[in-house]
Amino acid sequence: MNKTIIINGEKQNIDVDEDMPLLWFLRDRLEKTGTKYGCGTGLCGACTVHVDGVATRSCVIPVGVLAGKSITTIEGLSENGDHPLQKAWLENNVPQCGYCQSGQIMNAASLLNENPTPNAEEIDSAMQGNICRCGTYQRIKKAISQVADDLAREVS
Amino acid sequence: MSTENTAIESYATENNAIEKNATENTTIENVSRRNFFKTASIATGGLVIGVSLPMQSMAFGDEVKEFDFNPNAFIHIAENGDTLIYCGRCEMGQGISTALPGAVADELEADWSRVSVKQGDADEKYGHQATGGSASIRRMYIPMREAGAAAKEMLIAAAATKVWKIPADQCSAKNHFVINNNNGEKLSYGQLASLAATISVPEKPKLKEKSEYNYIGKALPRHDQAEVVVGKRMYGVDTKMPGLKYAAITHCPVLGGKLKSVDKSAALAMKGVVDVVVIPRFEVPFGSIGGVAVVADNTWTAQQALKKLIIKWDLGDNQSYDTKAYKAQLVKNVESPAEVVTERGDLKTAFSNAAQKLSATYTGGHLSHSPMEPNASVVYVEDDKCEVWAATQAPKAIQKVLGEYLKREPTDIIVHVTMAGGAFGRKFKCDYVHEAAVISQQVKAPVQLIWSREEDMRTGYYHSISAQHIEGSLDEKGNVTGWLHRVAFPPIGSLFKADTTGPSKNDVGAVDKYPFGLPNFRSEIGEAKAHTRIGWYRAVYAIFYGFSFSSFADELSYKAGKDPLTFLNQLYDANDNAEQKEQVKRSKDALALAAEKAAWHNRNKLPEGQGIGLAVHYSFRTYVAMAVRVEVSGDDIKVLQVDCVIDCGQVLNTDGAAAQMEGAVAMGMSLALSTEITFRNGAVVNSNFHDYPVMRTSDMPQVNVHFVDSGFEPTGLGEPGVAPFAPALANAVFAASGKRYRDLPFKPMTV
Repeated sequence: MNKTIIINGEKQNIDVDEDMPLLWFLRDRLEKTGTKYGCGTGLCGACTVHVDGVATRSCVIPVGVLAGKSITTIEGLSENGDHPLQKAWLENNVPQCGYCQSGQIMNAASLLNENPTPNAEEIDSAMQGNICRCGTYQRIKKAISQVADDLAREVS
Repeated sequence: MSTENTAIESYATENNAIEKNATENTTIENVSRRNFFKTASIATGGLVIGVSLPMQSMAFGDEVKEFDFNPNAFIHIAENGDTLIYCGRCEMGQGISTALPGAVADELEADWSRVSVKQGDADEKYGHQATGGSASIRRMYIPMREAGAAAKEMLIAAAATKVWKIPADQCSAKNHFVINNNNGEKLSYGQLASLAATISVPEKPKLKEKSEYNYIGKALPRHDQAEVVVGKRMYGVDTKMPGLKYAAITHCPVLGGKLKSVDKSAALAMKGVVDVVVIPRFEVPFGSIGGVAVVADNTWTAQQALKKLIIKWDLGDNQSYDTKAYKAQLVKNVESPAEVVTERGDLKTAFSNAAQKLSATYTGGHLSHSPMEPNASVVYVEDDKCEVWAATQAPKAIQKVLGEYLKREPTDIIVHVTMAGGAFGRKFKCDYVHEAAVISQQVKAPVQLIWSREEDMRTGYYHSISAQHIEGSLDEKGNVTGWLHRVAFPPIGSLFKADTTGPSKNDVGAVDKYPFGLPNFRSEIGEAKAHTRIGWYRAVYAIFYGFSFSSFADELSYKAGKDPLTFLNQLYDANDNAEQKEQVKRSKDALALAAEKAAWHNRNKLPEGQGIGLAVHYSFRTYVAMAVRVEVSGDDIKVLQVDCVIDCGQVLNTDGAAAQMEGAVAMGMSLALSTEITFRNGAVVNSNFHDYPVMRTSDMPQVNVHFVDSGFEPTGLGEPGVAPFAPALANAVFAASGKRYRDLPFKPMTV
C-alpha cells in the first residue's frame, strides 16, 4: 500500500523510491514542471514549494517524509493565476528569463502568509535564499512591497 | 571555415563581431535596404508575410512554395484578427521576443493585446538565428518593421480597392482596424485578412515617423510573463514526451583528459537504471569534451546512479593548471615587453618627456555563466529522423554539430528552440545537446539530459582569466601624452584553433580603437595559452577592457590633480580622429547625464564613507555610463545606488531596456565583488552556489535607468551594461575610502 501525498489538492500515490526528492517526484513522475531544478542542494530556491503552507526547498526533501502532507506548487498557488503576488509580478514586469520566478513567488507567498506586512529588511531576509541570475531583485522587492502595502491597508 | 563558424567565432570579440562578420552584416544590411515581401494564403485563409533575405531569394513560386522561400520572420493574421508574430532570434530573458514583435506590431498598427509571439524553430527562413553579440535589434529592426508596414499597406489596399472602391490614400489603419477617412467606416484586420492575401506586396513600404510610434520607445509588457507566473512557461528542462528517458552526466574534470576505465556494475544494478553510456570527446567546436552518462527512469535515479560509477580518468596535459599561479604568470607577461600590435605617434618620446608617469596592472578571474537553468535538452535520434528540443542561443550550431556527428544533413536535424532559463553566452555552445544525441542514439529513446549544477560549474566554458598592464604619461598641465596597454588572456579563439598561444591582434581591436584621444599609444599582447574551454560570457572582453580603461583613467585623474569627470571629458576631447567624433560625443553625453542624475557635483556633501564612481563604456555599438554610489566601511562595500545611462539609439521597449540594465548591474556586481572560478590541479574547485557566491537580493542597490535620445538607429542592450559597472564601483570605492581595487573580483571567496 503506497503512502499518499496531496499535491495542489489532489491525492497522489507515492509510487517512487521514498528517498526521491519531492522536486523530481513533481517534475519527472507527475510531470508538473513549474517547479524548477537549479542547484539540487537547497542553495538557490528555484525549487521552492509550500508544504502545509510553508516555503520548502523541494530539491532536498525526500517525498517519503511528506506522506499525508499538503503540497502547493506554482501551478496550484491560485485558481486563475490571480494570487496578489502573481498579479503584482505582472504589474511590475518582474520576469526576465523567468526560470527562478516560480520559486521566488512561492517563497514570497510563504513570507506573506507568516508576515503580511514585512518591511524592506524582512523582505530581503526572507528572499535571500532565492537567486535570480538575470537580476530582477529590484522588481521582486517592489512587487512584494506592493502586495504587503495592499494587505496593510486591508488590515487597517 | 564556414560562414556559420566565422560568425560564431567572430562573436568572440565584440569588435571582431562587427568587423569580421562582414559577410553576414552585408547580407543583413542589404536586407534592410532592399528587402521584399511576399504573401501567401495559408490554411486558415489568413495573411502571412515573410521577410525575405535577398541572398537566399529564389524565384517566386506558387503560393505553397513561398513558405520555402526562406523568410526570416512571419506575420500571420487569422480571420478572427488574432495576430501571430514569429521571432527567429532566441529568447533567454533579454526580451528580444517582445522588443522585435513590438516593432512589427507598431508598423502594422496592430493591437498588442491581439498579438501572440512564437519562437521559430531552427530554419533558414528566419535568417541568422545565432543569438549573441547584442545584435538582434541592430540586425532585425528595419526588416521586421518593413514586414509590419507592408502588411498594413496590404490591409489598407484590401479595404480600399476591394471593399470601399476608393483610393488607398483615403484610408488609414489604427489599432487593428482599417478606417475609411471619408466616413469613419471601419473594417477589422480579421475581416480583411483573406482579402489582403490577394494584394500584391509593396516593394518599399513606408515606415512610420518617430512621432507616430505606438509601441517603439514605449514600455511593453513581456509577451509571455503571464505564463511565467503560473509555472507554464516551457524551458529546456521541461520537455516531456512518451517514452522519455532521463540522463545525468559527468565529465573528465580536466580539459583534454580521457576515460581510462569505468566500472558500471553498481550503477546498472540500481532499480530504474536503463543504461550507462560512454560519450567520447567529439573534436569539433561545441562538441562534447567526453563523459559518462547514466540513463534512468527519472533524473534523480540517474544522478544517484552516476555517483556509483567508478571512473578512472587519464587527466592529460592540463592537470597542473592552477589559476593562482597562472594569473601571476599573466601579470609577469604583461609587466614585461610583449608583442606589439599597434603603435601610434611616438610613445617613447612622450614617456621620456613626461611630467608624471603612472602604471597599473589589472587582473580578472575566470567566470562561470551559471544561468539558473543548467544545460538541458531533449533529443530523439531515430534511424530516419532526429528531433531536438533545446534551450539554445544557436539552433543552427546544433544542426551543424549533430549533422556532423550523425553524418546527416544539418537541415535534417529538427531543432525546436525552447525558452532558455538564462544563458549569458553559455547556451551558444551545444555540447550538452550533442551528448543527449549520443545517449539517445544508444538507448533508442528520447532522452532528456540535464547537467547538474556541479557539472555546469566545473566543466563549462569560462570567461577568460586576464591581466592588463597600462602605463600612462602626463604633461605638466595634466594632459595624457602617452598610453601603453599590454594585455594577456587565453582567448575564445582557442576553442577553434588548438595551438593558440594568446590573444590575437583582432582581440585587442577594442583597445586600439578605444575612443579616448591617445596620440602616442602602443598596444601589446602577451602569451596566454588556454588550459580550459574559454567562451563568450555576457559582455565578453568588454568586461576587462572596460575595467582597465575606466579604472586607469580614474587613477590618472587623481595623479593629474583633476576631477575625474573633467579628466574623462578631456581624454575624449583630445580625440581628433574624425571617424570617432560620434563615439566621443555619445560617450561624453552619456557620462554627463549619469553624473547629473547621481548629483556628482554635490558628492563632497555625501556622508562619511560614501563615494561616487563614474565609468562609461562603448561596446556592441551601444554606450552605457554608470554612476555608482557606495558606502565603504573597512572591507565592507555596500552599493547604494546606480544611475545608469543608455544611448542605444532608438530604444524599442523602455521597460525591457531598463530590465537589462538592472540585470547588468546584478551580474556586474557578482563579477566585481565575489565570483571567480578557481582551478587547482587542472580542475575547477568551485561546485555550487555556496562557493560561487552570485549576488543575492540584499545586495541589490537602487538602479535608476535613464535614456539619451540620440536619434541614432537602435543597437543592442543585452551585454553593454555589464562593462561599466565594475570600474564605476572601483572608482567609487576609491573615492569613498582611498582603497584601489585592481583585481576582479575585489573580494574573492577562498575555495
